[in-house]
Amino acid sequence: MDTNIILNTLPILLKGSLITLQLTVLTIIIGSTLGIILALLKISENKIVYSLASLYTWIFRGTPLLLQLFFLYYGLPLVGIKMTPFQAALIGLSLNCGAYMAEIIRGGIISIDKGQFEAAKALGFNYIQTMKKIILPQTFRRIIPPIGNEFITILKETSIVSSITMVELMRAAQQMYSTTFKPIEIFLSAGCIYLAMTTIFTCIFSVVEKQVAKYE
Amino acid sequence: MYMIQAMNLSKKFNDNNVLKNLNINVKKGEVLVIIGPSGSGKSTFLRCLNNLEKIDQGNIVIENEILDIKDKKNIIKLTTKMGMVFQNFNLFPHMTVMENIIQAPITVKKENKEEVLKRAEILLEKVGLKDKKDSYPSKLSGGQKQRVAIARALAMNPDIMLFDEPTSALDPELVGEVLNVMKDLAKEGMTMIVVTHEMGFAKEVADRVIFMEDGNVVEEGKPEVIFSSPQQLRTKAFLKKVI
Repeated sequence: MDTNIILNTLPILLKGSLITLQLTVLTIIIGSTLGIILALLKISENKIVYSLASLYTWIFRGTPLLLQLFFLYYGLPLVGIKMTPFQAALIGLSLNCGAYMAEIIRGGIISIDKGQFEAAKALGFNYIQTMKKIILPQTFRRIIPPIGNEFITILKETSIVSSITMVELMRAAQQMYSTTFKPIEIFLSAGCIYLAMTTIFTCIFSVVEKQVAKYE
Repeated sequence: MYMIQAMNLSKKFNDNNVLKNLNINVKKGEVLVIIGPSGSGKSTFLRCLNNLEKIDQGNIVIENEILDIKDKKNIIKLTTKMGMVFQNFNLFPHMTVMENIIQAPITVKKENKEEVLKRAEILLEKVGLKDKKDSYPSKLSGGQKQRVAIARALAMNPDIMLFDEPTSALDPELVGEVLNVMKDLAKEGMTMIVVTHEMGFAKEVADRVIFMEDGNVVEEGKPEVIFSSPQQLRTKAFLKKVI
């Protein structure tokens, strides 16, 4: 083990991990928003709306993320839509994340007792008010564990965008490896950084879980 | 003046006729208690009144206005004249007692929060739970939950209160505290429709008792008449079983 290599490459890896974090956080924000909308469309009684949302989740859960990224980054320029690696990575990850989040959120919504919808209706809440004030807050409490899982998966999956030339932690590590030929030091460091980030995520989630559990 | 007129109501669940051409009217200030075996349609009747179930046929008239189930504004306007209390309380578990009570007036009626808070304090005092205003429902007993649910419904200033077996999910020793709140309401002149198995309550508080079976009214009258000398055989058979 060459500790000098580790110390010399660490700043570059840390810089890459900032991009990883940025991608993860933005993906979570966009993907979750998309997920909520898709989930609401999927529980709609309108068959067309339901079918469109289902088609979306079917495609994005049914094909590999790598393929989706290649399609966005290498395919779309041929029809005149050009994107930077960051844009393609963010859009690809968000669209993919949205499909998974939609399923998690939909599952959460349909697990809420029917009596909650009825009480809201009897008090005069309209659909949007019912969802916003009554159903979704309870849904989020229930889906925190699977969402925590999903977010950690996203953090790790950002490594896939290294394949469309996006320089994040994984690609930074690959580049350092190909200049130093020290795979053990480099990938061990990168692995530790990933572990540190996922650990922080896990801790945040257990705090959130305890916070919202106060009414139980 | 009638507060509620239900005319020729019919309701089917699949092939099961739950309400068959049902006619029930309720006057202002009247306390109507509906009794009957399970599956007789009494809960369905209440749920149709505030549109939790859609009627297949007939008309519902609330304070001289026909409930139009195709007009969302009309539905909200008319159904919010009625407060509903459920068998399983259906309190919002993620909100404190106080939040449960003030949410609907603020969100639905866009009322001023300060005023709603004041009214909620008075309501909590009335149901005897002032000290529980910051508790979450999970920390309350069944009887306390149901009293909060009553306060929550009252916070919308309804003209009519609908009670759907409000004490059926309660331990026996907790039934009394809920019935007492309901008795107070009746004394204040609230128009009430109560579906219940509490015959003691019916005898003491009801202005009129309806015995329902098989989707229709079998017999109705003053409680002293229904309970002491029912005319119909089916009423007699039912009362013999429950009393």
